[in-house]
Amino acid sequence: MNKENTRCVITGLGMISAVGNNVSECWNSVVNSVSGIDHTKTVDTENCYSDYAAEVRCGDLGSEGGYKDRAVRLCLKAVGEAMSDSSLSDFGGDPRVSVIMGSCVGGVVSVEKYYTEEKRREYIPQMPISAIASQAAAFCGAGGTVTNVANACAAGTMSVAYAADLIRAGKADIVVAGGADSFASVPFAGFTSLHALDANPCSPFNHLSGITLGEGAGALIVESYEHAVARGAKIYCEMLGSGISSDAHHITAPRPDGEGQMNAIRWAIENSGITESDIGYVNAHGTGTAKNDEAEFLSLHTIFDGKNDDLSVSSTKAMTGHCLGAAGAVEAVLAVKALTENTVPPTLGFDDHDLEVLSERAGKLDFCPNKPRSKELNTVMSNSFAFGGNNASIVFSKNEGKVQLPEKRPAIGITGMGIVTPAGNGRESYKASVSGAAPAEGSLFSTVGKTEYDELGLKMSFYRKLDRFSQLQAVSGMYALADGGYPITDENATDIGIIVGTADGSISPVCDFEMLIAEKGNANGSAFKFPNTVYNAAGGYLSICSGIKGYNVTATNGAQSGLFSVAYAADVIRAGKEKAMLATGTDENNEIMQELYSQLGLLSESYVKPYSGSDRLTLSDGSVSLLLENADTAAARGAKCIAFVKGCGSANAGVEFGTVTGSDKAADTAIAAALEDAGLTPSDIGAVIGFANGHKAVDSIEKTVLGRVFGDKLAELPVISVKETLGEARAASAALGAAHAALMLAGEIGESSCVYYKEDTVRGSVSSQGLDNILAVSYGSGGSYCAVVIGRQEA
Amino acid sequence: MSEIKAKLKDFICSTLGVEEDVLEYDTELFGDGPIGLDSVDSLEIISFVDGEYGVEMTGVGKEHFVNIDAIAQYIDENK
Repeated sequence: MNKENTRCVITGLGMISAVGNNVSECWNSVVNSVSGIDHTKTVDTENCYSDYAAEVRCGDLGSEGGYKDRAVRLCLKAVGEAMSDSSLSDFGGDPRVSVIMGSCVGGVVSVEKYYTEEKRREYIPQMPISAIASQAAAFCGAGGTVTNVANACAAGTMSVAYAADLIRAGKADIVVAGGADSFASVPFAGFTSLHALDANPCSPFNHLSGITLGEGAGALIVESYEHAVARGAKIYCEMLGSGISSDAHHITAPRPDGEGQMNAIRWAIENSGITESDIGYVNAHGTGTAKNDEAEFLSLHTIFDGKNDDLSVSSTKAMTGHCLGAAGAVEAVLAVKALTENTVPPTLGFDDHDLEVLSERAGKLDFCPNKPRSKELNTVMSNSFAFGGNNASIVFSKNEGKVQLPEKRPAIGITGMGIVTPAGNGRESYKASVSGAAPAEGSLFSTVGKTEYDELGLKMSFYRKLDRFSQLQAVSGMYALADGGYPITDENATDIGIIVGTADGSISPVCDFEMLIAEKGNANGSAFKFPNTVYNAAGGYLSICSGIKGYNVTATNGAQSGLFSVAYAADVIRAGKEKAMLATGTDENNEIMQELYSQLGLLSESYVKPYSGSDRLTLSDGSVSLLLENADTAAARGAKCIAFVKGCGSANAGVEFGTVTGSDKAADTAIAAALEDAGLTPSDIGAVIGFANGHKAVDSIEKTVLGRVFGDKLAELPVISVKETLGEARAASAALGAAHAALMLAGEIGESSCVYYKEDTVRGSVSSQGLDNILAVSYGSGGSYCAVVIGRQEA
Repeated sequence: MSEIKAKLKDFICSTLGVEEDVLEYDTELFGDGPIGLDSVDSLEIISFVDGEYGVEMTGVGKEHFVNIDAIAQYIDENK
């Protein structure tokens, strides 16, 4: 890790929101105290108590490339502006360029069109959040790590935080980071059902009667300082450190004591190598709800009172509305503008009486009511707090800061695993199932229920709230902690985090909610169901039931997300942010998923085995969680490592989202990166866990890629599929591949069925004896790939 | 009253995920007990009561939500 990598800078900005179609228009509105909130013109508000929204008024979001969801169009607009602002053009598939995008509700507009207009096939690939970063990467030609952060209202901030971490980990030179979300019926009806909308335009840190939804996108070019200087880029500011935490409290309400918020803020300050007094301005989360703003008042006072008597704080949501997954991104853009323009954006909405109340609440904090304020700023912070109890804080500065990376790169051990598959639940159950025969059905389902909840000590008052996606995740996550002998205590709760990987996330709850409001109207959504429409609900529930208070991100970009979670989690541990991480892959199958996959022509009526040359697949589901630990701290607590994560790589080739053909070269890149990260060559690999699922487009890529990577050796190389009898469980299959590799290396699975790619594909079996390193590879729709080397011994 | 209580119980079990065998008419609904309903659940109950009986419970005191008996009594007195 070279020292220069610790310096990250912002070299480009892009933004679209209700107050402008580009950064310049938005900033001009901000400094003129212009609000974008108005009566909605796009969503049906019959019988709803509020009809306010902050909608983008851009007449032309583009139409190139056929149908794309509104969130994707918003994202591309902001990305295009940021690229141009940074004097960048198409990256041509450069693997050193990444795209990380945040979103909360993803393709809800496409979901709404599908259920209320016409069930058109082209809407389906645009529904998942996965579609956003993938299409943004295709748009700008990014060939490196590409994913979405799906942590609701904190997603945009987390994306920017992760962007800098990727650069500091040496995995990228440029990251296009940000977030996008659309205003649509699902979030409007959802927040209406929660009575969380303000009947009037929202008034953060003031009336506290609710939020006003907004929409838009923000994009920032985050770049290594070295790279930016070498190409003579314009540098706005430094991107310093970040803090990401979880509340382990409630799925929608923040902790009243502000503990999670304060952890994120304190970690961001600590990670940046600055002190509280260095910060001149905080772009607060400031949604306008009593629960958020009161917790935030408390957090800000607790952290800054007595340490910083010249702190300005504002919520720009009174102008942009709450842009959900885009909020952190547009607010990061505004924070950078505030810094570079030496201007504190205002918090709108205070009358004379309000100002009196504010002066009591604010103490020495300056909330910059109604009008912007000129102020010499050197360092600014932007905070976001989300459903699921996820908190994120990032710091921008004119100064270099002192972001520290660990001197030594730790080895990463796998010390526990939780496995939920259609064949049964738990590590032992999976081991017993590997020699089983394939079922007859073309669609498979995992089962979790009271037996598992009782075994794991989960109470009905908790699990009654979980949708099935969250149930699968909670059970596999808790199994992994139990399996690894890692009880969560007050002492270690912040030493461990979670990366949930998922392909389709909460698409089913979103569709279910859309069907409900399509039938009963936007005034009649379900407050009980709505929280489960956010993809990070599963990770939030896992935090609540386990007590985990550390890092918490839900990463989604196709099926490979289940293996990518391992790579991401390993990076978090290597960066010294956590001692342990749960890395998971979870996807669900149900009637809604079956309909969508059937419309795509992918659902099979009978079982499809890998390598069978079909044009369909067996849709399956499940959840697999791996407990990864810094091997030193694992040893210190006496934990046995099942195997080790030695190296990880990911890459992207921008093909049409919903397809994979033509993206195979990115798999080569991902594998090469994983081998390099592990310090190994192809000849060190004893077996491969592949990604073939029986669909010929996917299977042919596996064969082509492995042929190129392993050459003549491929004929003797066992290639294992965990989809032989368990179907295509998407992210769950990808994570299961890593688990299977670890169990083979530990000798717990003595023999595995496999294929050998000789002239024909020959079925055989492989003994685990003598295997030292196994390469797990996974694919994702749109052409993203992840590769992880699992080893018997430390790297 | 008994019909109201049966309907409330059915709603709480089918919509709020509560298991039937632990829910009696006098079981405490909110708080740290085995049922553990919270403010989000109360919104669903309010919406159900309004839709089913035309009784508005928004802003009604907590004592009227203690258990199914209390909610049923409030509905009976206000419908």
